Amino acid sequence: MTYRLPKKDLDQTLRGWANQAEVFVPQKREGYAQFLPWEAGAELLLDEPHNTRFPPKDFFLPQSETLLTYNRKLSQLEMPALQISPRIIFGIRPCDARAVALLDTVFATADNPDPYWQARREQTILIGVGCNQPATTCFCTSVGSSPFDHAVLDVLLTDLGEAYFVEAFTERGEALFANLASADANDAEQADKIKQQASALLEPAFTTDNLKDHLDQIFDSSLWNEFAQSCLGCGICTFLCPTCFCFDIVDEAQRDERVRNWDTCMFRVYSLEASGHNPRPSRAERTRQRLMHKFSYWLEHADQFGCTGCGRCVRYCPVGLDIRAMIRKAAATPSEVMHAN
Amino acid sequence: MSTTPMKIALFQCRWCLYSPEDQAWVDNDLPKNIHLVKVPCTGRIDPLFILNAVQGGADGVMVSGCLPEKCHFKEGNLAARRQLAEFSQFLDYIGYAQDRVRFVWLDLQDRGRIQQELAAFERTLETLGQAQALATRAPIAMGGAHD
Amino acid sequence: MTELETKIRAEAERLLSESLVDVVIAFRQEDAPLHPQPAFFTRAEELESLAYNGLCANNLANYLTRYPQETRIGMVVRGCENRSVNALLVEKQHTRENLVLIGVPCEGILDWRRIVALTGENVFSVEEKGESVCVHTRENTFALSRVELLHPSCQRCLHPNPISADVLLGDPKPEGDPHLMRLRIAELEALTPAERNAWFKHEAERCIRCYACREACPMCYCTECFVDHTEPRWTDSGVTPAGMQAWHIIRAFHQSGRCTSCGACERACPMDIQMTYLTDKLNLDMIDAYQFEVGMDTTTQPPFATLTLDDKNRFITQGKRS
Repeated sequence: MTYRLPKKDLDQTLRGWANQAEVFVPQKREGYAQFLPWEAGAELLLDEPHNTRFPPKDFFLPQSETLLTYNRKLSQLEMPALQISPRIIFGIRPCDARAVALLDTVFATADNPDPYWQARREQTILIGVGCNQPATTCFCTSVGSSPFDHAVLDVLLTDLGEAYFVEAFTERGEALFANLASADANDAEQADKIKQQASALLEPAFTTDNLKDHLDQIFDSSLWNEFAQSCLGCGICTFLCPTCFCFDIVDEAQRDERVRNWDTCMFRVYSLEASGHNPRPSRAERTRQRLMHKFSYWLEHADQFGCTGCGRCVRYCPVGLDIRAMIRKAAATPSEVMHAN
Repeated sequence: MSTTPMKIALFQCRWCLYSPEDQAWVDNDLPKNIHLVKVPCTGRIDPLFILNAVQGGADGVMVSGCLPEKCHFKEGNLAARRQLAEFSQFLDYIGYAQDRVRFVWLDLQDRGRIQQELAAFERTLETLGQAQALATRAPIAMGGAHD
Repeated sequence: MTELETKIRAEAERLLSESLVDVVIAFRQEDAPLHPQPAFFTRAEELESLAYNGLCANNLANYLTRYPQETRIGMVVRGCENRSVNALLVEKQHTRENLVLIGVPCEGILDWRRIVALTGENVFSVEEKGESVCVHTRENTFALSRVELLHPSCQRCLHPNPISADVLLGDPKPEGDPHLMRLRIAELEALTPAERNAWFKHEAERCIRCYACREACPMCYCTECFVDHTEPRWTDSGVTPAGMQAWHIIRAFHQSGRCTSCGACERACPMDIQMTYLTDKLNLDMIDAYQFEVGMDTTTQPPFATLTLDDKNRFITQGKRS
């Protein structure tokens, strides 16, 4: 079903939802966009070309989470009960929603689902807003998505200027807009035009034909050393990435808790083994891992790229390493070179 | 005045208490609210130790060492003096009262002084109340920032 | 290409073609107009992409410790980078004879986030013309003044000129005003402890523990950082208040007498966390208590690496503070 939501009614709508669920909307705090609980008078930040600085994956996979507590004296374990109330995330960008879809292939598999992820997913309604004006760092169309990709979104909104064109894809999404007037053919037509225009603004950042095979072939290339030369080895690209999901389980012995923290393949200690051996001893192997995971290994388990083109890593890399340029360089590296090394 | 006793972390250089009675008192009769960490020299005390004590819930940290020219390792205490004094000023800068970190040089004739110093320190801490400026390593909220 | 870039390139070319160095560490510009990258040139032919402008935000001295002492390195250095190199030389992290410092008096680093905040997204190019900066976006052109775009650390910069470069390219700039850093710290010190504490927590607790501040800092070159240590584990591992606070406290404190106030940590931070208010305070303490300013030569040891009997101190002897 499609509806028309006049912008002047948005506040009223959010107010209504806030009675039944926790509503998160993008707002500016500390100078950048963040998902924060909606409150009366909250100023929404929906027309920025780029998305929130911190990816919304932490709604489902918190950066630090206590899995269990233990009492060493009594040899007792206790798992804290998951108490998650219904939530609505309003204004999530299509790339970030697509990332949630990708992460579902990791955490919501039929045979081995992650209960923490599952519980949060079930309680969370995702309402996306498409991007009329993608930023220069965006490249969603190059990785098989688009500025209006509705992946796992319950609802997708298209900004028509005065109003939003609302497309509901799930029952629970539809229920939220049920009292709105239906959109007319004119709205739908206008939305279509906006979608096409937005996609047209994005030029292909790289070609993906045969990319996986090529990357696999240049696994031993010296190209990775070139990237590693300037790479600092910090965790910005992976922590800000909406699809990076690596975690480390740590026993916080001082407070008798087992905690799950995000981890990143860009850290030396990520792959460091207890023996002292490190299978990824230098930044070259680590930068390679990041690229290979997204553009090769993901295809093996999910048949999709593990990148949604949100551009956060491009924007915030302190040394200006641009994943698009890295892929272009990788694509231009002849596969024969590998044997020379 | 607080009714719960102040928690104190005592870092003691193992060479600074000259009298066996004093050392026996520290080793055996230390009040329950004082947590003893013996170090081979005050020079061994990394600022991390102090922070760890603070984040472990200490209301105050006391360091007892040897007089400047009497260090068992010649100058370990001088290194401690520079670093730890600066560190406590730095903690003060971010709002953790400087008076919560106290340093005591002890000398040969200072028999029994460790007890007096600890008692005086405890009184100081009582007037300051329980330390709350820095987070303790307490359990984190379930489920991260958003739940 | 600017006149300065031409000069840097010529000097780099001389060093490489005469085989005076093994590598020249400088910047290059790729497609991203706001993000020039650190670049490592080993052959004169590669120098075409060498760039130098106000958006070169990294402290290149950071890369010094990645090379063995024998590697002969040519490096473009601004005032702060030069002092960082000196501080590293004090700590014996390289050999001065194997370094050729290409000095560039610095006009200050432009904060790309300020540019984006003022001009919006979609910046296509940035042109610097003396005190004005011209920003072209997809839709518009903006004329901005350099001063308002400067990174905060650069606004307070004391020594914009390289102090021990082997060659100096460009005209020296006037020295900075030492009061600016003092003023800021004095303002913080004038707050009540509770207010300072709130300030600290507000900054530290936005941390996502990506350690970009550590990795961007030339002085953070430990093989194993205290936060990576697991036995004993010194700090909370996660994004807990205790973990985040401990990181900010100890990271800053490890910089006492070593930080050159270059601000690379703040420029790298993805969460816009302020950190120099911690290190600047320590720097001032080092100046006031020990008359030590970081990186002014290549031999003077920082205060925590030296000891004297006659320090003023707040240790208690016989019930009195001496």
